[in-house]
Amino acid sequence: MTQDDGGAVRPTVTRGTRPTGAGAGRVLVAVYGVLALAATVRAGYQIVRHFDEAPVAYTLSLVAGLVYVLATVALARDWRRVAWVAVTVELVGVLTVGTLSLADAAAFPDATVWSGYGQGYGYVPLVLPFVGLWWLWRTGRPSPAAADDLG
Amino acid sequence: MPLALLVVALCAVLGGWAAWFVVRDRAVVLRQLWGAAVVEGVLVVQAVVAGWLAVSDAPPVDGVLLWGYVATQAVILPVAAAWAFAERTRWSSVVLLVAALTVAFLEYRLLQIWGAV
Repeated sequence: MTQDDGGAVRPTVTRGTRPTGAGAGRVLVAVYGVLALAATVRAGYQIVRHFDEAPVAYTLSLVAGLVYVLATVALARDWRRVAWVAVTVELVGVLTVGTLSLADAAAFPDATVWSGYGQGYGYVPLVLPFVGLWWLWRTGRPSPAAADDLG
Repeated sequence: MPLALLVVALCAVLGGWAAWFVVRDRAVVLRQLWGAAVVEGVLVVQAVVAGWLAVSDAPPVDGVLLWGYVATQAVILPVAAAWAFAERTRWSSVVLLVAALTVAFLEYRLLQIWGAV
């Protein structure tokens, strides 16, 4: 995915940055969207049906799902600042919850998206924030005239 | 169950087709979207059958869980198709591939949860 394109349409340059939701970014948005959908729908189901069993885990699942929704929208709409925050929250979340879920399994009786570093989702939740941050950095880099990231 | 297997098989074909286009550095073409429409059509039939079974048989499956999957998988391909129009590069093919794999995976989960559909 490091190659840009071959003879493809060049993204239009606005404010010296490239849109986060075009070209290869669209794939990133798609994967984020799938994860957002999976995490949010699943958390909704867990909360509706089994909230009493693991309130902390399910609430966390829902928060994680909503952060993914936010990241998806932000990347798609080129809201850079929001995207930076959302993706960073995910990275911190997956690392923190991943570590806690292994260290103190009793606190997480049922799986969340972030348990075991996203094990239940093929570690996509662990990899995605890194890709997201790299993409934000890459698309926002060129041109010294574009110091203002107007989100 | 046969419907779910049919969807998985169709998704595999669609995904393989999209993967081929990724390798060839081509954007999604209209014919692939017709393929996606066929998959979507089977999904709709499956949703109707699932609804009918849910009403008539009262199967031992949680309705919220089942419809969560049925509704989720229905929205994925249309979004990928809309993007195929917006993104005229090979990346639309990657998106279609991801979409096909996702639908196939959801079908697989659906089979695990409820073998009857």
